[in-house]
Amino acid sequence: MSTEAQIGRLPATEWDGGALPFRVGHRKLGMWLFIVSDAMTFSAMLVAYSYARVASDDWPTPFPFYPSIIFSTTMTLFLLASSFTMVMAVRASAHNRLKAARRWIMATMLGGLVFLVLHSIEWGHLIEEGLRPFRLAGEWAHRWPNSPPLFGASFFAITGLHMFHVFTGVCYLGVVALRISKTRHEDVEISGLYWHFVDLVWMFVFPLIYLMSVDFKG
Amino acid sequence: MANESIRDLMRKSDLVLMAVCLALAAGFLLLAGKNAADAGKFFSIDSLFFTAVCLLLALTFVAVPALALRSRGIHPFGVPDEVPPARAAEHVHFEGGMRLFLNVLLGLLGLTVIEVFLAYIHVPLHIMLTLLIGLSLIKAAMIVAYFMHLRFERMSLVLTLIPTLAVCICLLFIVFPDSFRTQRLRAVKPSAVEAAGEAGAPASHE
Repeated sequence: MSTEAQIGRLPATEWDGGALPFRVGHRKLGMWLFIVSDAMTFSAMLVAYSYARVASDDWPTPFPFYPSIIFSTTMTLFLLASSFTMVMAVRASAHNRLKAARRWIMATMLGGLVFLVLHSIEWGHLIEEGLRPFRLAGEWAHRWPNSPPLFGASFFAITGLHMFHVFTGVCYLGVVALRISKTRHEDVEISGLYWHFVDLVWMFVFPLIYLMSVDFKG
Repeated sequence: MANESIRDLMRKSDLVLMAVCLALAAGFLLLAGKNAADAGKFFSIDSLFFTAVCLLLALTFVAVPALALRSRGIHPFGVPDEVPPARAAEHVHFEGGMRLFLNVLLGLLGLTVIEVFLAYIHVPLHIMLTLLIGLSLIKAAMIVAYFMHLRFERMSLVLTLIPTLAVCICLLFIVFPDSFRTQRLRAVKPSAVEAAGEAGAPASHE
């Protein structure tokens, strides 16, 4: 029996010491605290983007229905589906069905990889149009003449940081899937927490970056 | 212990063969990485082809040691049929079935489709922003509650994490009055100058 399980069964109340006040292991609590701090990083970036947008006279709304909105919606659906497969992996691991858990994690990684590939293609479209961190794409400067050149900086910084999180998550899940017979259930659950957090951040990046910049002419 | 048993099972010549194969596999992996990095446009047919060939060759050379290990009954990443004792002793608390999670997933997908639909309706910006952020908050709550399992955790954990985050994010909004002020501080708007220069008509924003 692990120490945590023993401590959890002690009759001591929280005020007597010796109990885990949150009834979760220290690793899981650590991941939760990391998620809170990372959520603050992302919210600071989104607030900075909103600040720049509010303080500007004009802001480009360049995303046409095809390819940008179709691509980003498909990416959202894949990320949501991968979150579902991850929760199924955690469930299989809780019931000690290790082979099923590994298969569900592989499906999750596949969803993450599809997200990464689609997003790189989407980046490729914009870079090809001439968008750079501090320069608008060619025609945009004529359509939105009063807008500052910050569109690229905000777009690449926020989606790039999110892509980096997805990439790290895929690597992390790969390690967990390979070592599934040596891990404990809590470790699988922790990797699931991280993956769901990546999904959660996209739920705010997608409407703020993509849906608020829809090109009605497209 | 495991190292000793592996050494017993393999002869020296096998080890040399494996080392050569692993070195070649690593070399091809490096080549694939270099090719991917050098390719200006990665998703062109040529660079994808050469990267894929390098990866395939690396896989071929990894296959030799992997098969040799397997034939000797060593499965470094295999899953045992019985549950490992450390895992079996763990006290696991998990609620929720496939049906619940499927319902949550369908709800999230539905809300996403509604958001995309809303983005194409002409409404004032602040109403659209409120609607989108409101729906996103609902989605986030669903993910945190069911997928991240916070609903089934202790209340003390929820009360530690969520208010902390909410207060910190609200503190960030302290900058927004400043951003509205920056816009009003400008004496003349560039759009007004342009419109006045072109037609002399009163400038209308947008």
